[in-house]
Amino acid sequence: MSHARVRRMSPFLGASRGRQDARPPEDASGLADLVVQDLDGSDVRLGSLWEDRPAVLVWLRHYG
Amino acid sequence: MQLHRDRSKFDAAGVRLAVIGQGSPDQAAHFRDSHRLDGLPIYVDTGRDSYKAAGAKIATFSELLGPRVVAKGALASRRDGVVQGRTIGHPAQLGGVMVVRPGNEIAYVHLADDAGDNPPNDEVLQAASEAAQG
Repeated sequence: MSHARVRRMSPFLGASRGRQDARPPEDASGLADLVVQDLDGSDVRLGSLWEDRPAVLVWLRHYG
Repeated sequence: MQLHRDRSKFDAAGVRLAVIGQGSPDQAAHFRDSHRLDGLPIYVDTGRDSYKAAGAKIATFSELLGPRVVAKGALASRRDGVVQGRTIGHPAQLGGVMVVRPGNEIAYVHLADDAGDNPPNDEVLQAASEAAQG
């Protein structure tokens, strides 16, 4: 495997080579059925978080 | 963490706060314990599926560590009295904030444009309050 090929596959810090635009969806239907885990390791369906009242979802970039 | 300090305001507004991170439940629990974030609802998304579905972007190198981004990070560290913790998961994955109402309606969204781009808590709280009232 050539050096150039390795560099293409492993950009520094996994950074995007080109600038991306954030693309929020029109609604949260694509998020509702996704499953995350709570800190006990139990599955939680995301949509359950806003079934009965609004939810503020915060996606962290890092822990800190 | 600024969010945690304002948690009671979100509770009072009648909205549910949910923090989603990468990594494993153990790593997230360590983060919670080391930052004394007792009671803050934290979830993990190891595969980053929700990041992708939310439309959060992968940063370029300059959006991660460019001079403007580093300067913003330094200011935020001084303001909040915290330093960045360990990066777990995809190091260039950016985050964001979304307020979702019952029925999958997105009432507010702010997806980070670079690593230092976080919406003011007051702005999020205002959007959350309006979502709870409307």
